[in-house]
Amino acid sequence: MSELALQSVVKMFGATTVLHGITTQFRPGTVTAIVGDNGAGKSTLCKTIAGVYHPDRGDITLGELKLTHLGPHETRLAGIEMIYQDLALAKQHDVVSNLFLGREKTRFFGWLDQPKMVEESRAVLETMGINVPILKLPVGVLSGGQQQAVAIARALLFAPKVLIMDEPTAALAAREIEHTLELIKKLRERGLIVILISHRLNDVFAVSDRIIAMRSGQIVADKLIEETSMQDVVAQIMIA
Amino acid sequence: MFAKKLLADVNFTSLLQCLVFLLLMSIVFALNSPVFVTPVNIVNILTAGSVIGLMAVGATFVIASGSIDLSTAATMGLSSVVSAWMVQNMQISGPVPLLVATAVGAACGLLTGLLINITKAPSFIITLGMMSIYRAVAFILTNGIPIYGLDEKITSIAEAQFVGLSFPSLLMLAGMVVGYLILSKTKFGAHTLLLGDSQFACEAMGVQVLKLRLAIFTLAGCFSGLAGYIFMTRTSSGDPTAGMNYELIAITAVVLGGANLFGGRATIPGTLAGILCLVVLQNGLNLMAISTFYQTLFVGLVLVLASFLRRLGPER
Repeated sequence: MSELALQSVVKMFGATTVLHGITTQFRPGTVTAIVGDNGAGKSTLCKTIAGVYHPDRGDITLGELKLTHLGPHETRLAGIEMIYQDLALAKQHDVVSNLFLGREKTRFFGWLDQPKMVEESRAVLETMGINVPILKLPVGVLSGGQQQAVAIARALLFAPKVLIMDEPTAALAAREIEHTLELIKKLRERGLIVILISHRLNDVFAVSDRIIAMRSGQIVADKLIEETSMQDVVAQIMIA
Repeated sequence: MFAKKLLADVNFTSLLQCLVFLLLMSIVFALNSPVFVTPVNIVNILTAGSVIGLMAVGATFVIASGSIDLSTAATMGLSSVVSAWMVQNMQISGPVPLLVATAVGAACGLLTGLLINITKAPSFIITLGMMSIYRAVAFILTNGIPIYGLDEKITSIAEAQFVGLSFPSLLMLAGMVVGYLILSKTKFGAHTLLLGDSQFACEAMGVQVLKLRLAIFTLAGCFSGLAGYIFMTRTSSGDPTAGMNYELIAITAVVLGGANLFGGRATIPGTLAGILCLVVLQNGLNLMAISTFYQTLFVGLVLVLASFLRRLGPER
């Protein structure tokens, strides 16, 4: 498995510099949490990794592959998946349609291979221990946790190397949070690089190996989870 | 269990509502008019629905994608004018007028789609503007005078019958089949519905939304162009005023058939059922010699009733 590396990444929106030369690495089989106050640059950093934004300076590489100027589609093909806070699900559509959205299996002339998609959907949901009652149900009728699970399953369907999750537990009930954290642990066991943006420090400490604190577009702390405490992290985030 | 699953499917229940309504109407009309259930009248119904039916296939794609196209009837009128002008002045015949009308419709759809993509303005506004522009072009091309007296071969196309059905109705049914296969069996159709459901989800998952929207409007334009060709063959003319307000009837049929006006849900069988409801209603009221004023009233009532019944069905 390859390492994801950022080297002096700068991102500007007009005259405003949002990321000030970020340099860091993410190792396979680890969960890294990125924490910080609103406007710290967490989401911009993750969207830059996911190809939604292009860095103005610096480089992003996954192993030998340079990702710096790839768009979101190419970045996905390279093995980087992002799960957005609102999950980016089509709520009137069923689980299978959502799982394969943008990468549908076809036979000829764009003719959908529905049986194959159903079969692969079942397989990935089963592997991850995700319980969705009926694959044909519209995603909108599923619970928040089940929707989150569908979004994770979609990301896993094409064997990604990196999974970025933006506030995965923000809108979930306590039991669903537990289930989602279990899923994240399984992803680590599968050797993925998991990057987690979260405001919920309890969740971060429950599941992460490493924690990066950001403030004003800079990394102000980068520690292994056993080397720090919640008070430390809060202090790093808050102290200007 | 299977029946319960079916009744929970909003597409199925919408279609079922439409078909039940169609059946009830047919019973009422059959009891009141001996002519209603005759082969000739059934052919008449299908033929009468052919122009709007073809437009409604295109409208189904546009509505499914979360847009609205108010320029379909104007596109249809312009297509009929251009092909009629070419038939009269360039002596084109055979399948050429059909191809010309379809190409004009496709060009109009492409232009409309391009403008929506470039301006990022709501499709309602852009297509409202394009409706005026296409109508104006048709008026300018004809000086406001319909092109009459086309070759008899053109009229004979509309009168031709195969397996007991008129050519216009066969073309509409073929359009419905093609539309059904594209919308429900292909990746393009799936993306059309997904775009209407969540543009953000499509963009985030790498669907090229701008290209997709362009293709949808172009396809809808093709169907309007085909409708223009049928209109020309049926009236033996190219009329710049052809199909005034037809776009609203086509949209009504799509919504009656169960489509979500905000996108994400629409089916071609539903649209066909919606078209049949409207055409059968009009045909039956005509046979019962009910004034056209009341006919308009009934169409409005049907739409309101359908919206009410939809609220009683399963929600998505």
